[in-house]
Amino acid sequence: MAVQQYSQGIAGVPAGRLRIRRYVLQRYLVAYLFILPVLLLYLVFVLRPTLQTFWLAFYEWNGISIDREWVGLANFHRLFGDPIFWQALQHSLIWTAVVVTFNLVVGLIAAALLAGSIRGRLLFQLGYFLPVVQASIVTAMIWLWIYAPTGVLNTGLDTFGLEFLARGWLGDFTAVLPALAIASSWMTFGLSVVILLAGLQGIDPTLYDAARVDGAGQGRMFLDITIPSLRNTITIVILLALVDAFKVFDIIWATTEGGPIRATEVLSTYLFKEGFQKNQYGYGSAIAVALSLIILVGSVLNLTIRERGDD
Amino acid sequence: MTDFVSPARAMTIGGARRARGHWLVYIPLIILFLFAVAPLFLTWFTAFKTDQQQLANQYGLPLPPTLDNLREAWTVGRFSIYFKNSVVISIADVIGMVIISSLAGYAFARLRFPGQKLLLYTLLIGLTIPVAAIIIPLYLTMRDVRLLNTYGSVIVADIALAAPIFVFIMRAFFKDLPSELDDAARVDGANEFQIFWQIMLPLARPGLMTVALLEFLWSWNDLLLPLVFLVSDELRTLPVGMLFFQGRFTTDYGLMSAGVLIISLPVTVLFLVFQRDFVKGLASGALKG
Repeated sequence: MAVQQYSQGIAGVPAGRLRIRRYVLQRYLVAYLFILPVLLLYLVFVLRPTLQTFWLAFYEWNGISIDREWVGLANFHRLFGDPIFWQALQHSLIWTAVVVTFNLVVGLIAAALLAGSIRGRLLFQLGYFLPVVQASIVTAMIWLWIYAPTGVLNTGLDTFGLEFLARGWLGDFTAVLPALAIASSWMTFGLSVVILLAGLQGIDPTLYDAARVDGAGQGRMFLDITIPSLRNTITIVILLALVDAFKVFDIIWATTEGGPIRATEVLSTYLFKEGFQKNQYGYGSAIAVALSLIILVGSVLNLTIRERGDD
Repeated sequence: MTDFVSPARAMTIGGARRARGHWLVYIPLIILFLFAVAPLFLTWFTAFKTDQQQLANQYGLPLPPTLDNLREAWTVGRFSIYFKNSVVISIADVIGMVIISSLAGYAFARLRFPGQKLLLYTLLIGLTIPVAAIIIPLYLTMRDVRLLNTYGSVIVADIALAAPIFVFIMRAFFKDLPSELDDAARVDGANEFQIFWQIMLPLARPGLMTVALLEFLWSWNDLLLPLVFLVSDELRTLPVGMLFFQGRFTTDYGLMSAGVLIISLPVTVLFLVFQRDFVKGLASGALKG
């Protein structure tokens, strides 16, 4: 009954034509109303600031005075000649290397073992994931305590007669960056385990059966089947760590603020200081532009690989 | 994503099947388990220790436990105020995000309109923008619209910045619902909003749950936005309060641990109750952006 009324209503010619157009326009309008709130917020508080970052990077401005001075590429010129910028980039790469190594090695071992038949699998998984949901300030406070001169790590080393290794971890120029990257890994490796485990469970078991028939051992199968099959998953874990490494701010800010003497300075802490402590909005924005471009490349790679993996 | 809880296929590193794992495989798993949970548990224990107990044994159990640290953090340390602020901001974030992400996700999944692809890709760019990279102009924007130093600044920015990922999550949920549902309702003369509200939204409840949980987690844990936007101590959230608190009481581990406990307990309880949603949500969120 209802079906009939409906089809008669839109089948009428030619008066129905107008009605169809009105109907279609009305549906468009409704659709736009559905997305309007997101769109407005996104335009004002995400897209506009993003474009503004690129625009501010061409000015010299303290954020308060009415005059902004157009300086062209001067901020970028300064950026490329700025040793702190290159140092910060280097720090992000070291950070990435530590987090990637940790998350891949530990993640692969844990995922491979969990994929077997294990008692208490749920408990292990819950434990590994518990740090993932913690606030980065919580991670920072916990590791501040672990790394303190008389903290958990040093007293632990003492107990095992390894006191020669003990040091003020966060005051040590060479140790501080990897130390904080380990703290960051603590907070992220649970996610890598889940992603790698999903990858492992996606491998066709008949591949192993075939290899076993051919007389391949465990190690051979791991190298020739498991690792190649996980290629996409591993790439994703690496790119995630890369993007995370360039985004990191909280853990460093809450523990060392980029110190001691810039030993843990990264792009985000550097731009925070230039922008909000020195009121160098133009130069801070130039750093932000570099940061955005690096992360954009990483994210696009990530998405491309993910799309390819879905085919 | 894999089912988090279900027993996985029996497989070891090389893929051999075994009835039960050899006891040796438990050693790395247990070491890693301790690495993951011991730092957190030790800190929680410390929150219940007196200074003497802490000095005597850093790894010891808090026997007998004291509530002095928690009481002091809550009152003198002003964590009661920070807690209230965090609750207000996080709840507002969750409500706002559930509403706007489900509306937009529905439109992108099930309605047709000109510019749909373009708008979707524009949102996709948002997934890649790091907050730190736009914090300077965002601060200036908040100043211009006179939201600085209000709850509103953090709420609005939290929602705007995380909206793209949640729109994509909700879009995926609505896409999976059978198309006969809305066709039938449309034939019966229901308007688009009725279809959305009465038919689709109740079916997308698992998606809404994911949105609510993740948005709560992220806003509860966020440091940078409240640090930049909220100047007065009266408005500070727990992470920002903790940051300044740490500067003043840096060597009082009992007090600091009490602060950590206050921040981490709510999300830990939520996680234990809704583990599946958190794991799936965070894994897919990470893979998307």
